Amino acid sequence: MLVNRRQFDVDLEEEMHLHLELRQQDQIESGMSADDAQAAARRRFGNVTSLRERSNLAWGWEWLEHLTQDLRFGLRILSKNLVVTFVIVLTLALGVGANTAIFGLVNGILLQRLPVPAPEQIAALVIQSGESSLGALGFSYLQFVEFREQTATICEVFGSATAWRLNFTAEGHSDTLTIGGVSSNYFSALGVKPALGRLVLPGEGEHPGEPAVVVLSYAFWQKRFGGDPQVIGKPARVGGKTATIVGVMEKEFRGQFSVFEMDAYAPLSTAFDESSASNFWNSRDMHLMLVLARLKPGVTLAQAQSRFDVVSRRLAAQYPLTDKDLKVRVMDERLSRPIPYANNAFIMFSGLFLILGALVLLLACTNIANILMARASVRRREMALRAALGGARSRLLRQMLTETLLTALLGGIAGVTLGASLSYLASSTHLSNIPVRLGFGFDWRVFVYALIVVIFTAISAGLSPALHATRADVNTVLHQGGRADASGKARHKVRGDLMAAQVAGSLTLLIVAGLFVRSLRAVERMDIGFDPNQLLNVTLDPSVDNYTRIQTNEFYRSLETKVRTLPGIQSVSLAASVPMGNTLGNQSVYVEGRPVPSGQRAPGAFFNNVDPPYFDTLRIRIILGRAFTDADSETAPLVAIVNETMARRFWPGEDPLGKRFSLISDAGPFVEIVGVARDGKYRILAEDPQPYFYVPLTQHFTSQRTLQIRSSMLPELLAPLVQHEIKALDASDPVEEIQTMKESLGGTLGYFIFRLGASLAAAMGLLGLLLAIVGVYGVVSYAATQRTQELGVRMALGASPRQILALLLRQGAQLVAAGLLFGLVGAWALTRVMSHMLVGVSPSDPLTYLSVAALLSFITLLACWIPARRATRIDPMVALRYE
Amino acid sequence: MYRDEILPGTLYLLVLKTLARPDKMHGYEIANSMQRTSEDVLQVEEGSLYPALQRMFIKGWVTTKWGTTAGNRRARYYQLTAAGRKQLAVERSQFECVIGAITLVIEAV
Repeated sequence: MLVNRRQFDVDLEEEMHLHLELRQQDQIESGMSADDAQAAARRRFGNVTSLRERSNLAWGWEWLEHLTQDLRFGLRILSKNLVVTFVIVLTLALGVGANTAIFGLVNGILLQRLPVPAPEQIAALVIQSGESSLGALGFSYLQFVEFREQTATICEVFGSATAWRLNFTAEGHSDTLTIGGVSSNYFSALGVKPALGRLVLPGEGEHPGEPAVVVLSYAFWQKRFGGDPQVIGKPARVGGKTATIVGVMEKEFRGQFSVFEMDAYAPLSTAFDESSASNFWNSRDMHLMLVLARLKPGVTLAQAQSRFDVVSRRLAAQYPLTDKDLKVRVMDERLSRPIPYANNAFIMFSGLFLILGALVLLLACTNIANILMARASVRRREMALRAALGGARSRLLRQMLTETLLTALLGGIAGVTLGASLSYLASSTHLSNIPVRLGFGFDWRVFVYALIVVIFTAISAGLSPALHATRADVNTVLHQGGRADASGKARHKVRGDLMAAQVAGSLTLLIVAGLFVRSLRAVERMDIGFDPNQLLNVTLDPSVDNYTRIQTNEFYRSLETKVRTLPGIQSVSLAASVPMGNTLGNQSVYVEGRPVPSGQRAPGAFFNNVDPPYFDTLRIRIILGRAFTDADSETAPLVAIVNETMARRFWPGEDPLGKRFSLISDAGPFVEIVGVARDGKYRILAEDPQPYFYVPLTQHFTSQRTLQIRSSMLPELLAPLVQHEIKALDASDPVEEIQTMKESLGGTLGYFIFRLGASLAAAMGLLGLLLAIVGVYGVVSYAATQRTQELGVRMALGASPRQILALLLRQGAQLVAAGLLFGLVGAWALTRVMSHMLVGVSPSDPLTYLSVAALLSFITLLACWIPARRATRIDPMVALRYE
Repeated sequence: MYRDEILPGTLYLLVLKTLARPDKMHGYEIANSMQRTSEDVLQVEEGSLYPALQRMFIKGWVTTKWGTTAGNRRARYYQLTAAGRKQLAVERSQFECVIGAITLVIEAV
């Protein structure tokens, strides 16, 4: 049909022409002059152009024609205004880029389901515990087994306990891997397949002492073995056990956590060796397992929840000592990310940053709307002319929106590219002690999101200017000559509102950023109880060599001696755990002479096994009593050092020295307190003061220890020297990790999350500030240009430049003030969700609010002042002639 | 003014009825005929006839044929099809229904 269209148009033209002529003839015959007859005929006929358009509409293809017309015209306009186009595209690229980067992260961490068959059936099980703000982390193995057996009718419960840093030696080379210790039904329940060999078989590896096997992750197999298929069946040492590599995991599956990547998987019996076995397999206090369940088809979360409630109550009755308050929540697996804490702050964190992203976008939109508004005034004449020639308003509107959309699409493409590279940058962030994997979430959702963002921008930024441009009354505009237009009050108001909104949005962004930064400062200034500078940590585990206890002790002793001879060494010590690094479990404390009432649990405390120089090396002050000495040997009386909080909480108002407590039972054996150490931070930086105690390594053996070295040398330079000494002592190189204390503190349990929050928020804040400055500057300088003639008149009538400046500034200042007011209210409302994300600063911290508001008002007023000042320099004569 | 002097939606009905006579007509004749028959009361915006005619052609209510006028000019002549006749009946009954209803309303006390 389209083919005949051209002919049809010609025919229509001829037909209409004939009609006009015949009418004209008739009129002449009835006595009119030729001119009058022609005018009358035209009048009776109506607007030819618009009639022709209406006739075209009949075909139903007009949208396509219009679209191609609009696109062609749009491209022409865009290429004619390259600077404007560039500014719009750049602004939008920043807005869309920030948004897609954040959305990509959130998508990767929260929204994508596990890459397994029927992922919607997977639920996460978390233990709700009143004790800690995060909720308890996991299940004990015994609890896990009980739940698996007692809920088998409705779901299959499976789980894993991650060994974050396990030594893996193959082909004479060792690595420290993150290994998922998985229950025997883990892979069958998930439904994942091996890329090579086999996975852990049902029934395998849930009894300590079974033959050790290991399954490599695809990425590790590629990286370490170059994808060699011969790797199957090869031996490897995993955490001191000789294991067989039995398979390689399929590529898509990277572990059950969306953020942490597993290097390998092993059955529980391989991942947890016998020395810790008694605890892992038999203690109800070792909450190491993170548990998921595959619900049977048709089973809802609510049904599963009620089943788990029944089992929880049964267990609580059965084991009142440990499981009295047991409460298990069954939730959508995605809501339990990145780690199944009961009280997951990550969702709120992502929500906050999505809102910040939206604010940045809003600022970008406002700027674009401003530019388009200025352009719309220029194009009013064009639009009026086109309307006079028969262009329907809807058609003109559509055309202007097409132009905006085209620009927005360009900006969107640039933005997604920017966002993708930002995400890529974020994903290559290397974190020392945990294999964090970020920013792999670029899939269709991100593109759909970006597309929605772009269309939203185009419509929200483009509609009002387009409406404005096409609202033109043909007569008025065409009679105005070359003058841009008599700027309507209403439109000035719109621009003013936009400017105030920008200031408000920017202030909100900056306040959030300010709070995060202050929180980071507070955390960094926080007293962590020891001096992390100039410290090198070397974690070793000679159990790889099947050393006996005596050999292990001897190895460490000679290592310490050797390292002390290195240049610049001030102090060397050994400890089983590093603050904010690898921490040991909670230990029950039985105070002598104060038996635990039956049916109650003994209170717990965290602890560390250290040697005598430890307090010197970390510079932890002993405020009462003494530190450990060499006299506290294996055969000497058992001793301990407690921290201030423990002393205060367990022996309130008493002298803790000489008091005794047991780690085993009310009946002892007891350890005697010989000293009190200063409080510090032990597990996470944000923790409240915790009871904590130290016991001598000689009296409480561990194989894995961290050698801590304080030296006057840069710890980074010291590392290779220490490594050399270790190799000389033991060729198999039992080093698991070398890092400076500062690096270690930068990890996920340390400063990482605070730095991430602060830098993300600061980036958004700066972006927002930049957009606001551009916006304010743009509005004021446009207003000044629009008023050039008026200003010229005022100056000609004797207004001083100072008065002109005051006039322009007053207007700007009013808008800035209104913006600040709304921004303060908005920020206050938004930051209510931040109370759990901040440390050492309240979400309504007045200092942050006021200083940020002062800074922003200074900067925005400067952005007003520059164009206003320029306006005062104009020559009145030039201004009066200004068109 | 010539605009909007016929009831909205009745243009099809008027054109269909005008074409229902045996002789074919071109656009100008249709306009004149409508005006004459209505004793100069109905004056359409003459141009709007053409988009309407085109839509009717696309819908298959009329056929077209190029011919020559009395003044020996080339013109497009329109003729009603069977579908057009059917449509005329439909439009007519709808129109009568509406007019009847309007009459009832304005004559109600």
